[in-house]
Amino acid sequence: MSELAVRLTCVSKSFGAHAAVSDLDLEIPRGSITGLLGPNGSGKTTTIRMMMAILLPDRGQVELLGGFPDFDRRSRVGYLPEERGVYEKMKVLDQLAFLGEIRGIDRRVARSRAMRWLERLGLSDWADKKVQTLSKGMQQKVQFVGTVLHEPELLILDEPFSGLDPINQEVLEAIVLEERRRGATILFSTHLMEQAERICERVCLIASSRKVLDGDLREIKRRERSGVVAVEFEGDDRWLSSLDVAGIEEVGHAHHLTLGPRTDSARVLAAAAAAGVGVRRFEVLEPTLREIFVSHAGVPADEEPVLLAAGGAR
Amino acid sequence: MRQIWAVLRREYIERVRTKGFILSTIAIPVLMVGFIALSAFMAMRAERFDREWVLVDRTGRIGAEVAEAIGAAGYAADLLGGEATLEDLDARILDDDLEAYIVLDEATLRDGAFSYRSDDSPGSTRRAVLEGIVVREVLRQRIAGLESPGEVQALLDRGGHLEFERVTDDPSGADEISEAEKISGIATGLAGVFILYISMLIYGAFVLRAVLDEKRNRVVEVVISAVTPGRLMFGKILGVGSMGLTQLGIWAASAALLGLLGVPMLAAALAQEGALAEFAHLLPGVGTLLLLLAYFILGFFLYAALFAAVGAMCSSEEEAQQAQVPVMMLLIIPFVMQMYSLEGGGFEWMEWAALFPFFTPILMFPRAASGSVEWWMVAISLALMALAVVATAWVAGRIYRVGILMQGKRPTLREVVRWVRQA
Repeated sequence: MSELAVRLTCVSKSFGAHAAVSDLDLEIPRGSITGLLGPNGSGKTTTIRMMMAILLPDRGQVELLGGFPDFDRRSRVGYLPEERGVYEKMKVLDQLAFLGEIRGIDRRVARSRAMRWLERLGLSDWADKKVQTLSKGMQQKVQFVGTVLHEPELLILDEPFSGLDPINQEVLEAIVLEERRRGATILFSTHLMEQAERICERVCLIASSRKVLDGDLREIKRRERSGVVAVEFEGDDRWLSSLDVAGIEEVGHAHHLTLGPRTDSARVLAAAAAAGVGVRRFEVLEPTLREIFVSHAGVPADEEPVLLAAGGAR
Repeated sequence: MRQIWAVLRREYIERVRTKGFILSTIAIPVLMVGFIALSAFMAMRAERFDREWVLVDRTGRIGAEVAEAIGAAGYAADLLGGEATLEDLDARILDDDLEAYIVLDEATLRDGAFSYRSDDSPGSTRRAVLEGIVVREVLRQRIAGLESPGEVQALLDRGGHLEFERVTDDPSGADEISEAEKISGIATGLAGVFILYISMLIYGAFVLRAVLDEKRNRVVEVVISAVTPGRLMFGKILGVGSMGLTQLGIWAASAALLGLLGVPMLAAALAQEGALAEFAHLLPGVGTLLLLLAYFILGFFLYAALFAAVGAMCSSEEEAQQAQVPVMMLLIIPFVMQMYSLEGGGFEWMEWAALFPFFTPILMFPRAASGSVEWWMVAISLALMALAVVATAWVAGRIYRVGILMQGKRPTLREVVRWVRQA
């Protein structure tokens, strides 16, 4: 069995003159939880659709669960598309049973599993209602149940949390993490940086159809040091002026020192000790995902830059 | 197999549960009953007899017999002698006291002519009944004066009998068809043409809509991640087809029930003994019904595959409206041809056109039902249709596979050809 759940090798896809994805390499190890981050129109959905063989790449190779995304492999994936598709006239439980059944689960088993999920999500009263009578958020939860019902090896979720209120976002987040503990590999796209930061182990940042950065989130953060030290101390602050730093900023009680080429954090700490001030807090600040994204792509992922959005083909 | 079954089941149950299905399934038999009841009512109303007649007999010889026969036929007439004046009777009619009066005189005995005076003209049934009665009594009178009147009278009472013998060059007489069977064949053929035409058109459109809806609301992206497009298409077509057969089955059963219960009751109500026997002759045979079923199933698959391909190509209702026109033309052309040939303008070549699989159901069924084509032509037409179903499903399946995931503008014909070649 391959170590990788998904591997894209030099994949490109364009629609007419518009390049949606350019030379994308991506490897998603089994058992990981990966966020695909980027502003709208950056190529996240196109990438996901190529993984599911809904689109075929113009160039490059897509491997899903160790090979070409054929039906056998795809049926082991739980896929939540960006465009929420449901049979609106069908009853909730019937719909879920159908989705389970086409993936090879016995209908009765699928029904009882679906019912358990609905109870868990507080939707059991709606099991016999037509899907179209549910609110958008409830429909999204139903669709999410349809995605995980067959206990897939890999979950591919396109913007799974968008449009949900914070409480339901948390519920789904918890379920995603639980699926991960069950052993599933999880890949989801989002433009919500804070959320990705909270639950992802790995991230892949995309902007304007190109990969900007990918890898283990902690490693990235370590590598992408912000170069800012926060110091809180009691006493005279004159010692600060002796430091050869690029900038000093007062943030509340703390001073944020932007380190320069000739000063590292150890020297700052030494200077503080030498000045005899009482250090209350000394912290090398980690950059936020947002800052990392901006430093690489020039724009934050959750803003909609006019130029990128205008090209927004799926 | 299991996936096809799941898709079929979903499609079938979701359709059969809709209000539209339930209403239309019930409405048609109700309309049938209503139509038959209405026509029976109209027939009875046309021959409503509410006021008495008067029979004026100036011959003094056949009045009593005619009055009695009129009574036996369900009417009633008071017999008056020659003393009644026509002016009085006319006045009674104008006063609505009398509906009509009949005058028998010397001319009646001579050549069967009699007058019927009323303010309203008699219906054709009434006219025929009265003419029959009067002529019979006149003949009785005149025969009575002949030699051996008994024999002649017996002959008259028994009535004539038409015996039909077909002129044929086949000495064995194997494929002899009775006149009644022939009429039945034509009626069955015509009914079959309408059933085939309407059902293929409507159920085909259902398939198109099913495909288009699933594509438009993007459910197909999820479904297609587990089911191959071929199975999905096949399952959907089978599901809609089963719904169609259910509906047709319910209609056929209610028609049969109506035939078994309703028609004898109707015939009894109308006091027409012959009607029942005549009706029985009009019923199609089991073989013809099986042929109709075969043409429906093959024809449905043929057109459903085309409609599915059209649905997969389009992204909106409006596009689909346009794109389905060529497919509908394939159904409309043979229908128009068939209607033309029923008018008596049939051509020899239409038998051969009926072998074109897309035309076969509508052109071949009526010919087969009325026995005007050889059986081997029917066999060939079925075989060709089966081949065409396979070929069409293959092409449509390839269009469906690509089209179903394609969003945006409708593909050009050239692109569609490329899909079929590449897929």
